Amino acid sequence: MALVRIWRSLEQGAIVIESAKSDFTPSRWEIFKAQFSDKGVIFLFLIPAVLVLVVTQVYPLLYSAYFSLFDWTLARSPTPGAFIWFQNYTRAFDDQIFLQSAGTTATFAIAATAFELFIGFLLAYLTVGERFLVQVSRTILLMPMVIAPVAVGTMWRMMFSARAGLLNHLLDIVGIDGPDWLGDPSIALISLIIVDVWQWSPFVMIIYAAAITSLPSEPFRAAAVDGCSRWQIFRHITFPLLVPVTLLIVMFRFIDALLTLDIVVTTTFGGPGFRTHTMSFWIYQQGLRYFNISYAAATSWLFLITCLLIAVVLLVVRRRLTRWQE
Amino acid sequence: MAGMSVADKLKRSADASLASGQLSLWGTLQAAAVIISIIVMMTPFAFLFVNSVKPPDQFLSIPIKALPTEVTWEHYQSVFDHNEDTIQFLANSLIITVGTTIISVCIGSLAAYSLSRLDLPFRLSPIIAFAFLVVRFYPKITVALPYFILMKDLKLLDTHFAVIIAHVSLTLPFVVWLMLTFFDELPKELERSAMLDGCGPWQRFTKIVLPLTGPALATAAILTALLSWNEFLMAAVIAPKDAKTLPVRISSYITDKGILWGPMSAMSSVIVVPVMLFALFVQRYLVRGLTLGAVKG
Repeated sequence: MALVRIWRSLEQGAIVIESAKSDFTPSRWEIFKAQFSDKGVIFLFLIPAVLVLVVTQVYPLLYSAYFSLFDWTLARSPTPGAFIWFQNYTRAFDDQIFLQSAGTTATFAIAATAFELFIGFLLAYLTVGERFLVQVSRTILLMPMVIAPVAVGTMWRMMFSARAGLLNHLLDIVGIDGPDWLGDPSIALISLIIVDVWQWSPFVMIIYAAAITSLPSEPFRAAAVDGCSRWQIFRHITFPLLVPVTLLIVMFRFIDALLTLDIVVTTTFGGPGFRTHTMSFWIYQQGLRYFNISYAAATSWLFLITCLLIAVVLLVVRRRLTRWQE
Repeated sequence: MAGMSVADKLKRSADASLASGQLSLWGTLQAAAVIISIIVMMTPFAFLFVNSVKPPDQFLSIPIKALPTEVTWEHYQSVFDHNEDTIQFLANSLIITVGTTIISVCIGSLAAYSLSRLDLPFRLSPIIAFAFLVVRFYPKITVALPYFILMKDLKLLDTHFAVIIAHVSLTLPFVVWLMLTFFDELPKELERSAMLDGCGPWQRFTKIVLPLTGPALATAAILTALLSWNEFLMAAVIAPKDAKTLPVRISSYITDKGILWGPMSAMSSVIVVPVMLFALFVQRYLVRGLTLGAVKG
């Protein structure tokens, strides 16, 4: 019986059951050895990746949590100073610029995600199909998201330039006096949102296009039989079926938008003033420009926890909704 | 029109309007959307390339000249001049991208295979797989600071190795999850019979599993290469000088007081054009890689 149990445990392997049919019967030790070495080797496959993860992510995260509890400015001393409990964390909530950056980041992420969803969906819905023109356009629309965000920033910095930019030049032709896109405090953030929407709407489009193509055909068949209008079909069938994928897109785009750093560095560099300091940019400045290492670590942990919480909430909502659909 | 999916339907109406020579409202809308979006998407690229060959005195003339009256290559020359280290940065970027892609795809697919075939106790397999995914969803700036200190202590600051390992950790989530999806779907019978014939795990992996997942590997490699080539934050933190990559070099054009538009556009073109050509050739894989996770969800 014991042997049978071990054979069962080798379900994936299935050597033993086969060999038992022949005359050869392996001893328990041989089976154990075979099973152990086989699984052992497969387990070894996991080690390098986990090691990289530990060295580059887990350890730095724990280290950062550790020295966020100290008073440490790298410019003053190479080692952490006094242990000050959570003062770096509480300090953040009195820091007007930190709070302002948090607000900026939230505004940016919400607006960018909303516009990307809308434009991306519209583009996907309008370009479903395999016509040549559509395929070509899809290839072209891939371009913004494969190039470096840093280069996207330089491109748009030139587009936005008040005097020598293309945008104001075109507006000028139509007779509109264009604003100082990156220098005007009330417009700079909108300009950043435009850049993000330009780069990532195609991503939303491609995912929606794939999702629309793989929708089941039965509901549409039934709706056609019942004589539903195009709007009714969209409202009552297409839209509900696309809710799960929409939440997935929101998760990807919203969190990526929260983390935005590259395009800020190459377009506004956080300015004018602190108007376009996103959270990542603010922490980047604190840590690597002013070397307030422990303060930057503490605030980055506040930021990290917020991001993971949002991701978890979106995942839970998505699970609820998909379960309801089934 | 019964019995068609919404995609077929939309396509049919578009094709019909095209074939009959008259544009329906829907067909017109489609064409307009496609054309407008192409123009909007391409204009910044066009402006970048035009600026990279525009004579310096035509940048700030009023009104600006959107199209230059003559073409000059002097910006590219100045970017690749002797006292600029552009060649070095280009080499750094290439070394780091190639190194990251090789390492990440190798250890990532190994790990995915292991996670797919191994039932670790305490549900560890899905937990580890999830841990790889979490890396995708938190701010890298949290890791960048302590990683900087760690590399400083290890005397590895400003080396290719430090950047490559950082990039590997950033790209592992993509590789592991992409490959995990493929390995989970692979029929197990082949491996079983290979096991009966005495093939060890390594042989099964390299001789049977990998050849079957070639396209998936290609997709993973392409995504990894793009991410690594474009990555800015980690490279900027760890490699400020000797191992500096192109994105970091571009960003330094900005913080300078006066912006040199010509060299900046030339440098941006140097980083953008290879990627665009690359994407053109591999777009089929790219689209699949980007949509896979989302649609299967």
